[in-house]
Amino acid sequence: MRIHSCHFCSSPIYPGHGITFVRNDGKVFRFCRSKCHKAFKQRRNPRKLKWTKAFRKSAGKELAVDSTLTFAKRRNVPVRYNRNLVKTTLNAMQRIEQIRRRRERAFYKNRMKGNRERQFALDKKLVEENPELLRMRDVEQKDKQLKEQAKEDQEMESAEENDESEMETTDEEQEEEKLAAKILLKNKRKTRVKF
Amino acid sequence: MATRAQFENSNEVGVFSKLTNSYCLVALGGSENFYSAFEAELGDVIPVVHTTIAGTKIIGRMVAGNRRGLLVPSQTTDQELMHLRNSLPDSVKIQRVEERLSALGNVICCNDYVALVHPDIERETEEIIADTLGVEVFRQTIAGNVLVGSYCCISNQGGLVHPQTPIQDQEELSSLLQVPLVAGTVNRGSPVIGAGMVVNDWLSVTGLATTAPELSVIESIFKLQDAQPDAISGSLRDTLIETYS
Repeated sequence: MRIHSCHFCSSPIYPGHGITFVRNDGKVFRFCRSKCHKAFKQRRNPRKLKWTKAFRKSAGKELAVDSTLTFAKRRNVPVRYNRNLVKTTLNAMQRIEQIRRRRERAFYKNRMKGNRERQFALDKKLVEENPELLRMRDVEQKDKQLKEQAKEDQEMESAEENDESEMETTDEEQEEEKLAAKILLKNKRKTRVKF
Repeated sequence: MATRAQFENSNEVGVFSKLTNSYCLVALGGSENFYSAFEAELGDVIPVVHTTIAGTKIIGRMVAGNRRGLLVPSQTTDQELMHLRNSLPDSVKIQRVEERLSALGNVICCNDYVALVHPDIERETEEIIADTLGVEVFRQTIAGNVLVGSYCCISNQGGLVHPQTPIQDQEELSSLLQVPLVAGTVNRGSPVIGAGMVVNDWLSVTGLATTAPELSVIESIFKLQDAQPDAISGSLRDTLIETYS
């Protein structure tokens, strides 16, 4: 029994999972699930799909060249069983795993280093380019004032309903005109784009 | 000694076993009769080991080896490899070979000094053969067959080749191998020598169907009973050719 890794995404394949493809020249391709098998049949390049280990390694997202990764490999020359050797090997495996994790974390931290400053700089640039964003408070206060005024006006004008209704109709008409103009403009733009 | 045996009603003992001067591999079968045939002859001399290769019984065709080493194909599982390492003496090197032609027993035919191999074998494999088995490697065919391991059987004393090998080829092979060769058959006229028998320097095991003349050729060419190889190349061989041509 051996836990192989998927040819496509490099995830471990446990017994009873996945599918195996043996090419005419005897090369064996193991896939962890139908997703990987289908992608392989469509001749997708695993290095170009973001969800595969191959992509992450080739794009520098993960530790690719490291001495801790060289221990796990297929060996063609067997070694005679020796209890002490097995014991030390098991200990070494744990230790190597620890080291690998630590290095991976360091790699990740190093990769993410400077993100905060970079983001801060971007934000700063954005604000400089759009100065109205900074005066948000002023805008809000203005809105508030307007609303309050509107309320007072309503209370004032509640007595003179007739006048108001007339005003409203005129307002609506104006708005309709505006809309029509907009649509025309839009159509003009479209036609321009078409030609 | 030359003995006859059968593996589960099959005469092709060379398929289900591998015999060398320092170890013997036997397929894992239903009954122990086949194993006993080897154990009776070799029990106190060399280890006789039950094994499978890639989960199959056809170990004789899958592996190649001699006194110094054993080559197993790439499909061999880690467990089988471990088992072989733990059962065979430390002086025997074991190596798994990544070769496209994975039936190594069919493509490699060797004694302790020389190996004949399939003409299309990879260069790396050739090097591995030379290193692990400590032999000189020659790319050869036998009677036009590329599967040299199937159509011949050699030991350090002599060799048996396909019955239709021309005399010229026999002489050429003989000069390469530095041992006398003879064309012959096993198992009542089967030309597949490598599959029909196994041999080392003092024991040969053939299929149960092997006839007495075939057995006497085998005994004399492999010098299993201090017989003279000249005798076969003279009178006996003529009778054989008469019988099987």
